[in-house]
Amino acid sequence: MSEVLDRDESVADKAAAPLLQIVNGSKVYGGIHAIENVSFDLRPGEVHALVGENGAGKSTLCKAISGAIKLTSGDFLLDGRPVNFSEPRDSLAAGICMVYQETSLVPTMTAAQNIELGNERLLTRFRTLNIQAQQLLQSLNFHVDPATPVTMLGTAKKQMVEIARAVYNKARIIIFDEPTASLTPEEIVHFFHLIRELRSRGVGIIYISHALEESLQIADRITVLRDGKQVITAPTKDLTREALVQHMVGRDVAKALYERKPRGRHERREKVLTVENVTMGMAVKNMSFSVYAGEVVGIAGLIGSGRTEIAKIIFGALKRNLINGGTIRLRGKPIRYRVPKQAIDDGIAYITEDRKRDGFFETMVVDDNVYIGRLATKQGWRFLLSRAGRAKFANYWVERLQISALQRKAKIVELSGGNQQKVVVSKVLVQEPSVVIFDEPTRGVDVGTIPHIHSEIRRLADEGKAVVVISSYLPEVLSVSDRILVARLGRIVAEFEVAEATQDKILYAAIH
Amino acid sequence: MTIDAARGGASGALRRRGRALLASQEQIVLAITLSLIVIFSFALSGFATIDNFLNLLRSISILGILGLGLGMIVISRGIDLSEVAIMAGSWSIALIEMQNGMSVPLAIGVALLVALLIGCFNGFMVAFVEAPPLFVTLASAFVIYGAAFWFAPAWVVYAPKDSSVLTFLGAGRLFGVPMPILVFLFCALAMHLFMSQTSIGRFIYAQGDNPEAARLTGVALRPLMVLEYSIVALLAWVAGWVWVGTTGSMQMAIAQGTMIFDVILVVVLGGISLVGGRGSVFSVVVGCMLIGILLNAFTIMDVNSEVQNIVKGVVLLAAIVLDNFLHPRDEETARQGD
Repeated sequence: MSEVLDRDESVADKAAAPLLQIVNGSKVYGGIHAIENVSFDLRPGEVHALVGENGAGKSTLCKAISGAIKLTSGDFLLDGRPVNFSEPRDSLAAGICMVYQETSLVPTMTAAQNIELGNERLLTRFRTLNIQAQQLLQSLNFHVDPATPVTMLGTAKKQMVEIARAVYNKARIIIFDEPTASLTPEEIVHFFHLIRELRSRGVGIIYISHALEESLQIADRITVLRDGKQVITAPTKDLTREALVQHMVGRDVAKALYERKPRGRHERREKVLTVENVTMGMAVKNMSFSVYAGEVVGIAGLIGSGRTEIAKIIFGALKRNLINGGTIRLRGKPIRYRVPKQAIDDGIAYITEDRKRDGFFETMVVDDNVYIGRLATKQGWRFLLSRAGRAKFANYWVERLQISALQRKAKIVELSGGNQQKVVVSKVLVQEPSVVIFDEPTRGVDVGTIPHIHSEIRRLADEGKAVVVISSYLPEVLSVSDRILVARLGRIVAEFEVAEATQDKILYAAIH
Repeated sequence: MTIDAARGGASGALRRRGRALLASQEQIVLAITLSLIVIFSFALSGFATIDNFLNLLRSISILGILGLGLGMIVISRGIDLSEVAIMAGSWSIALIEMQNGMSVPLAIGVALLVALLIGCFNGFMVAFVEAPPLFVTLASAFVIYGAAFWFAPAWVVYAPKDSSVLTFLGAGRLFGVPMPILVFLFCALAMHLFMSQTSIGRFIYAQGDNPEAARLTGVALRPLMVLEYSIVALLAWVAGWVWVGTTGSMQMAIAQGTMIFDVILVVVLGGISLVGGRGSVFSVVVGCMLIGILLNAFTIMDVNSEVQNIVKGVVLLAAIVLDNFLHPRDEETARQGD
């Protein structure tokens, strides 16, 4: 620990020899290059961002660096000396740490215990342990109480503990994989502060994120990968968001992606869904709003604002309070569902925010995933399966959402994130709902797929369906919605017509 | 954070390679089975005869019928430890009623009713009370064992000798083929069609694959689970009918014996993963064949039952290790879609 901590603050010397170098690295899986001739280097005290679509080779590169896989060809130099890791333990010993998006802390242990995890001595006094941890945390400017069980800490503080553990393990290179995915905007600001703190200690940081703005903000250099090939490595100051997207997808979709299309004030048609004073425990309190046919209502808000919960309550996946739980009306008729099936039979659909947890069936191919959605409805139910019916529904949706047709025979886990999301969307839309709730429709989806999903959202509204889009990403909310609601602490606190909404206004309402 | 990396690592890469090379557990077990047939045909005199093969198949048919039910429930991510108890309990009661003068068809109906009631109860407890199936079915196995003794206070209950309805499924032959084999094949075919050609079969796979996704897709999970446990009970009833026909009696002792583990063995061996959602009727058939061939060869070689048990245990362990190898349950798979 002391070696890292004693380092002078001024180590961040750009001319310094690279900590890590990969020269012409390639990795071949079954004849296909996962990465091909990638040259990558990381200097001490540098943040080097890796960007690229899903499947571009970011994970492969990082796995090679962390020793989880071996490069097929190419040189791997650490401090200028060639190394050959045979297992992750070796890379750890060399000071390379990988921080995953899901925290890997033991929830029931305290922060101090987690920091020491894996390095315990036979006997440890809690007091000594806590004091050591306290010193470490303070030296990093992290305000975390070492004696608190990790389960009581928020996501941002958990991340601090993870970083402290990396420092404790004398990490000289830290790889962050989507570190901000579950952080609120405020926490992200703080997280960037932590990164700068690490950088000033001479730690080399590899930063992977889908949010390009973040990479532009925090990184010193950015490397763009596309289809396993290195497109460009350049200092951040020479790059713009548009340039990055162009490099990533290889075509000019950048501007169109989150463009705010001027939309005429649409006519309010039938009021389809009304939520009145709905309450569920502490998560949702007196929430009220309405959704009309033919419009897209965006719901913005931080994590924990009750956005997902209200969607699941409407859908019957969660139950609101029995007494004083409020009223939900579908075309004027009060509804209270015990199970999602009833909501689906009434034409309400919910597209999950976490497709891996509860979105798709991983053992089934694309067609079966889509067809099973149809079979689970009242109008689509039949006792015997029909090949023709399966092909009909699957073909229609594969074409409508432009799901990569080459992968039809593959199991769904082998698809890219974007294609998986499209399958999940198809599986729900094949049920022909009249109310569709999207929860984080483009989370973990590659840039090339986002326009397809956004245009599908607009198309559903144009077909006269009532559409709700829940999203943490404000440009997305602004680009697809007709009307924007802001949720905070279980309530709807603001409502904007899209023409008058701005990111600042929404953020202000979401936080204050 | 580093634990993940350590866990991924070399074994992860090996597993991926393993998955690419080894197509599926069914195929591996089938290959082993076929090679054993070839080896034993040459090595053991009296193995490669029609009579021995029929005998071999007949000896595994009850296990196979039970395995079909348990296989389906394991595919749905459940388990039913009461299957053998349902078979023994329902038929002990029926045979006692026959001794007391009830007509044979009516008693068979009583056995069916008792079996289905227990199945529904298991399903109800798992689906609506949301109790873990392992403990629900373990508890009902005990209750059945005790209650059946109450109704039928005897270790062994004998069937009336003169009833052809009762003995045909167990002792009869059709075109020279023993009926138990035909019953097993019929049940396997019916179960195969049910699982692969009906939407309920699809839903069972979906439930085993990802129960929460199935719920959000609109599958009515609770009625489905009651149906699943009832089907297990139904197959237990069929297996009991064959058992009574073969042996002319029913023993309550098997409810407390190791038979249920043999059933689990053939299910897991054939490639029905304990993860759920994977495997098929074919897996059960292949698993049965392998076990049948091993036991038959042991009988011919006159290996004692202790050694047989050891071999069964080792085979079960090997099957579970293989299952773990082919369907790992770590973050490596969870992260595959990235």
